[in-house]
Amino acid sequence: MTLGLLPKARWFKLLAVIILVMMLFSFSTGIAYAAEQAGSEPATMGMSPIVFFFVFLGISIVIGIIAVLGGVGGGVIFTPLMMGFTPIDSFIIRATGLFVAMCGSLVAARPFLRRGLANVKILFFAGLPYAVFAVLGALLAGYVKTTMGEGGEAMIRLGLGILVIGIAFLIIFGGKKVEYPDVRNVDSFTERLALSMSYWEESMGKVVSYKVKRAPIGILAFCGVGLISGLFGVGAGWAMVPVFNLVMLAPLKVAAASSKVLIGIGDTAAIWPYIMGGGIFPLFAVPCMVGLVIGTMIGAKIMLKIKAGFVRWLIVAVMFGSGTKLVLDGIARLT
Amino acid sequence: MKKDEAPKPPLAGVIYGEIAYWLLLAGMLVAVCGSAIYIHSGGIINATCLLDHLWQGADINTIWAECAGVTEVPHGHWYFGALHQADAVAMLGIAIGSTAAVVGMWGALIGLIRSREKFYFVFAIIIAIILTLSALGIITIAH
Repeated sequence: MTLGLLPKARWFKLLAVIILVMMLFSFSTGIAYAAEQAGSEPATMGMSPIVFFFVFLGISIVIGIIAVLGGVGGGVIFTPLMMGFTPIDSFIIRATGLFVAMCGSLVAARPFLRRGLANVKILFFAGLPYAVFAVLGALLAGYVKTTMGEGGEAMIRLGLGILVIGIAFLIIFGGKKVEYPDVRNVDSFTERLALSMSYWEESMGKVVSYKVKRAPIGILAFCGVGLISGLFGVGAGWAMVPVFNLVMLAPLKVAAASSKVLIGIGDTAAIWPYIMGGGIFPLFAVPCMVGLVIGTMIGAKIMLKIKAGFVRWLIVAVMFGSGTKLVLDGIARLT
Repeated sequence: MKKDEAPKPPLAGVIYGEIAYWLLLAGMLVAVCGSAIYIHSGGIINATCLLDHLWQGADINTIWAECAGVTEVPHGHWYFGALHQADAVAMLGIAIGSTAAVVGMWGALIGLIRSREKFYFVFAIIIAIILTLSALGIITIAH
């Protein structure tokens, strides 16, 4: 049964997305109001440090669960959500976002590498442009903050808002990913890199051998992805999986595993300039880190038991809400 | 083909994964312990003041000046000189976790040498050097 252009189920999902976006805006307005009401009094909204710790631990656990169920990294939800809906300075949020994305990735790396699912040759090959440009992105973030003041902050918010809305569209219309792409006519550059590998595919009970192609385009893509990751403090799994799977034609599982491991390498390079610049505060970073790791573990267990289709719509709603808020904030600060 | 005959995962990847995982967990443990003590007994930065300023959207310069009483944001590995304070211990834990991939990458080089992957050894050593320079604070953000 259809209601006009969209099937009925889609209308419900769309409605749920709109309601969630409105709830997010109400939540942020509530925070802003409470902070304003606090006036010259301490603006902690009645939170003691220990309450703050557990509140952010809880929020991060939820983000971790939702992220795993929706097939994205925690950082890509954490950073826009915190920047859009809390008054905390964006430099601190981006530093913390990068840190939690790195932690989630490092925890996940071990099983992927032990099973041979993440291609180490691809990791070293893609890790170089990704790490270099992630560092450049982090340095650019510092430069913008130091030299451009409020205008720089506005542009960061505007840029991240547009990026996050773009990612939401990518999730909806990103095209069908191919589980085992058919690779023919490998270019000579990629052939020389010898990136082909094999791994044991548990679900099929056999060894899967695969090749990849278009490595030069992959290098360029990883430069851009690294820059965005370092600049905005988000993990970059949302961009890396399509690059591995749709551009370089790696199997979907290999693409997902390799991107997860690669985030840990690139974000490590990018996080240190933030740490050295005094942008990480343990009271904020530690509960977020622990919460996201716990949430990721819980989410991985839940994922085996439930259909996660709706969660993707939930993430789309969160991203549209955060993205729109960031764009509006950015425009307001520019004008 | 039986599972026993499945290809062995590359040694470099296994070494990297193990080092990164355990070092991160060690860092998390130190960071959580440090944070618990910090919340209970305080540290360099006044926790209540930090919360006030975080909710007011204050930048790091303001936070460090008003809540830690320092004239400028400390650069580099500032926590090493203040390990008698709980938030510096928590920060040390964060730093240990953040070196996981750095140490892991140097460990992976051993695996690459043993498997005679000269070409990827060059890639890996450049990444390891970049990560190390970053962790040493040679690549840093000025305020």
